[in-house]
Amino acid sequence: METSQVSNAPTTVRSPAIATATGNTFVCLVRFALANIRRRPERFVLSVLGIALAIACVTVVRTISASFAITGADSVTDVLGGAQLWAVPAAGVHYDGSAQALVADGAVPTLTVPAGWTANRVLSGVTDINGSTVSLRGSDQTVSGQATLGSEVANRLGLHLGDRVVVGGQSLVVNVAGSGQSVIVATPLARSIVGDNGWWVIFARPGDEKRRDLGQTFGDAVGLDSTSDPSVKPDPNGSGLIYDTVGGSGPLTFEQKFSALFSGKVTSSTLGLISTIGLGLGFVIAVSSFLAAVQERRREFGIMSSIGLADEVLYFFLVESGIVFLTAYLVGVLGAGVAVALVIPGIATPTAWLQASGMVAAFLPAMAIVGALIPVHRLLQQRPVSLLGDR
Amino acid sequence: MRKGLSYGWLSARRRIREMVLPAITTAMGAFLVVIVFGMSDGIRAQSASLGHAEEIGRAVVLIAVTVLLVGVVEVAVATTRTVARRTRELGVLGANGVPRAPVVAALLVEPVIAAVLGALVGALLAAVTGIVLGAVGLVATGVSVEGLTLGAAISIGVSIVAALATSIVPTWNAASRPPIRSLSAGG
Repeated sequence: METSQVSNAPTTVRSPAIATATGNTFVCLVRFALANIRRRPERFVLSVLGIALAIACVTVVRTISASFAITGADSVTDVLGGAQLWAVPAAGVHYDGSAQALVADGAVPTLTVPAGWTANRVLSGVTDINGSTVSLRGSDQTVSGQATLGSEVANRLGLHLGDRVVVGGQSLVVNVAGSGQSVIVATPLARSIVGDNGWWVIFARPGDEKRRDLGQTFGDAVGLDSTSDPSVKPDPNGSGLIYDTVGGSGPLTFEQKFSALFSGKVTSSTLGLISTIGLGLGFVIAVSSFLAAVQERRREFGIMSSIGLADEVLYFFLVESGIVFLTAYLVGVLGAGVAVALVIPGIATPTAWLQASGMVAAFLPAMAIVGALIPVHRLLQQRPVSLLGDR
Repeated sequence: MRKGLSYGWLSARRRIREMVLPAITTAMGAFLVVIVFGMSDGIRAQSASLGHAEEIGRAVVLIAVTVLLVGVVEVAVATTRTVARRTRELGVLGANGVPRAPVVAALLVEPVIAAVLGALVGALLAAVTGIVLGAVGLVATGVSVEGLTLGAAISIGVSIVAALATSIVPTWNAASRPPIRSLSAGG
């Protein structure tokens, strides 16, 4: 039987591989998104503008609240000075905005200090020095004839070490120590100006500083209630309250809880409400502009889904919405920085602005992802034929 | 120009459903502005407890106006949507020799109507809310009529100006495109 040689050549020839673009998938997605943005630049600008304005609103409010939180933490640190307990009068204490410090509202609670504890009685009130309202404190440690100023209040009043200052009719020598916003004078002089208003700061026995039940122990010994929650106000008809800065459950320190009270006042006020509505509106704009893009590109997505690209469409939108939100974030945060510097220079500090920017960045991923999911969901509900069919 | 405006009015009436969302967002912004101005005494009292009353008051106004602008941007987004959908119509107009100015005027009727309607509805709602709250006694510091009027004037003025400023670029671009390109475009 005759045999013929079998050809080794393959019977089917594979079509040449489609040339792939250089670069990885992500770069391709970004380039695709940028091309789409270039196709409708005005819509990109508008959605960025809308979201940026909304982000700027929230950043401004968060800047204010962050700077209040910093103020709150500073003011309570200034009061405590490392003490573990703080015994406030029944009338409570409040933050005086013009003096920028905590001020007592009632007479120092009467208490007999148990043996081993160190307690300093501090008189507290406000007075007027060179036309500015200043927090005045009286301490037994300050010698008469001298006024100890924190560096911030010294800057505010323009006083330096060795200058003379008139407090309550007496001329005193200025001594600058610490960083607070209070002027500390000898107790008799302070009493002549602010009366008996004030509080106690109490240091535990050596070795007991870290005990969680300091407030309880001391409170039982002197007959006062104690709490580790700064939002608890003293009973106006009682005889005072002890704030325990060491005890209490939870990871937050007393200073952090105290500053949260301050920032909470801002975020729960009208400002917070308005900025949240603004953020909601910005999100509506983003979604509506993505939906408009979907409407215009129906045929394009029809082609994609007819060749089996379904999940990939989500990536297109994710990258596009990521670019929009990132640009809007940068514009909004910078705009908010300029706005707070111009409108509220007295409140905002760069630190507070940075904190606020960080906090606002936390919203972004969620907003960008949801903003991309809504149009993709709308697309995937339709069949390729219907996407390709209508014009 | 007058024909352009009446053409715009006719087409705006046809597309009234498209204007609902931008009108609502604008209304929300206007509502906030008017309420903030009407209750400025109350807000000042609230900010006084935080200290820096003056600056917080300014920040509240700044933020309310910014939210109004956010609402108005939606008007402009709606305009780009309208323009994209009416590309062929614009091509037909251009091919028939209609000059650019009336076309732009016709396209701008819709955003202006949406902005004015939104601002009016928002201001009205805010005024009603403010007066009702004041009458019921929920607002201890009262609601000032001058504040409400000022807020309404500001919100209507700002929304018209902002709607025009943000809508003019897309409409101008669309009206300047050569008719052949508009006619052959997919939309």
